[in-house]
Amino acid sequence: MTTGIKVQLSACRGCARCIKVCPTEAMRVLDGKVMIIPELCVDCGECIRKCEDRAILINEDNWRLLASQDSTLIAADPAFYVQTRGYSCPEVFSSRLKEAGLEDITPWTSLAFDVTAYAIAKEIEKRGPEGLPLISTYCPSVIRLIQINYPELVGRFVLVDSPLETAVSLWREDTGRGDDVTLIAPCPAKVALVRSPEGRPKSSMKYAVSIQNVVRDLLAGGVEVDQPVEPCGGDLRYLLWSLRGGESKHVSAFCNRPIRTISVAGLRNTMDLLRELELGRLEGVDYIECRACDLGCIGGVGNLESRFLTHLRLDHIDVEWTMTDQESEAVNRWYESEIWKLSAPLKARQRLPLDQDLGQAMVRLREMNQIYAELPHIDCGSCGRPSCKALAEDVVRGNGEATDCIFKLRERIYELAREVAELSSRSPHAFNRKR
Amino acid sequence: MTEVYVEEYVVKGDSFLEVGEASTKLKGTLKMLGIPSDVTRRASVVVYEAEMNVMIHAGGGVIKASISSDSLVIEAVDHGPGIADIDLAMQEGYSTASDRIRELGFGAGMGLPNIKRNSDELDIETALGEGTTLRATLRFERG
Repeated sequence: MTTGIKVQLSACRGCARCIKVCPTEAMRVLDGKVMIIPELCVDCGECIRKCEDRAILINEDNWRLLASQDSTLIAADPAFYVQTRGYSCPEVFSSRLKEAGLEDITPWTSLAFDVTAYAIAKEIEKRGPEGLPLISTYCPSVIRLIQINYPELVGRFVLVDSPLETAVSLWREDTGRGDDVTLIAPCPAKVALVRSPEGRPKSSMKYAVSIQNVVRDLLAGGVEVDQPVEPCGGDLRYLLWSLRGGESKHVSAFCNRPIRTISVAGLRNTMDLLRELELGRLEGVDYIECRACDLGCIGGVGNLESRFLTHLRLDHIDVEWTMTDQESEAVNRWYESEIWKLSAPLKARQRLPLDQDLGQAMVRLREMNQIYAELPHIDCGSCGRPSCKALAEDVVRGNGEATDCIFKLRERIYELAREVAELSSRSPHAFNRKR
Repeated sequence: MTEVYVEEYVVKGDSFLEVGEASTKLKGTLKMLGIPSDVTRRASVVVYEAEMNVMIHAGGGVIKASISSDSLVIEAVDHGPGIADIDLAMQEGYSTASDRIRELGFGAGMGLPNIKRNSDELDIETALGEGTTLRATLRFERG
């Protein structure tokens, strides 16, 4: 299922660092090479951050090839616009991009984020207190994490499409154009959004490339994107979505009543929050915004610039939260058209149980506990699994041996050695008897 | 099928850092066994609240989960002071937790009502000065 991350086997030396940072324990090192269990991968990119051999990469399209066309249409993640000093004004930036043969659909992107925020606000207002809090569907990694690890919470997703998808739909409706669009993404999860979207049969975009590739290319190509640009008067609300809490602010601005939102960034915080939500301990909260990456999308592994600097830039832009009449009219019109709606509900994607039959599953679970009890419980990773628990599980699922554990192997060798010693002490006797 | 799978968790008194461990472990177990996710969610809540109760009020105890073909029984046993008035304890917002516990954000008087809401059957045996045994049953198919 994973489509945002790829492994370059020739570069992997099986160091097993990546398997320890994976939040869903989706990685193994078998026969000296890393492998990803696709059903468990959430495309968060933690493994890419950790890999020192560049063996794990974002599974993106070939930017060189795309950029070499006469004109390339791009839809960019908000994080894209704060990667260099010159990006504080998407419109000015757009004209620079034109020089490089790139056509950015930015006015529609900006509109799409407004429509999305408005639609979320309306969904919150529609729900009674029992149905709240709703959970944001902006971070594709968080969607997957909930589908796999917190299946009980899938009913809380706000069924509003990613504003990046909506942006392209709006642009197509408005211009009637059918060209292929390339998403410029800050992380593998958003690449996966294009490759295998949730809640819609097909993405409205065709290609996906990482921000770092595009920005590097622009800088290397001599396109003037690094010169400071005067902040423009245009609407910059949507840029804040790349920072933790930006979405909540935007949604709040459209709500008729004050709403209570919680925004967290980073997988550790996200998992803690989801757990509390699962236990029913978050009463009185209206909306929950989780981002897999530290600080938000600017912390994505596909960015070029330091997340601290981009944070600084975003902190200093002037954002106008009140809409002009003209803007309100457009947002209302598109809201009514329901262009923002996810066409299918998001489904849970639970892990396979140990056995389909409950009785058999119990037998195997006991077996697993037995194996686990005999392992050293230090989670060293030498067996190629992230933890002793994972090894025990792999063994009962038929994907390994207890002697994959280096300590179990030593015990076995010791036993064998003792047997050999014992046998060798008997040999003269046997020798005599033979004679 | 008469197969029963049992797991036990020891809850220590005053161990705020560890609270929630039993519910996390049980959740993992239920997933491995392929128990319906609605039951898993309700079981997490029941065990979490039971853990809190045992830790705050009784200075520790044992929680036992028994899984059979059609139901899950969660038993929380402690040798604490016992519950003086069960009807009162079942009321939302009623709590005998100390100020210190409340300052930590717990003891809001939602424990037992929450357990009741999430289980199909609830049975509490308690004796002052001797302790409390709580038994919650969650059926896999809610009738």
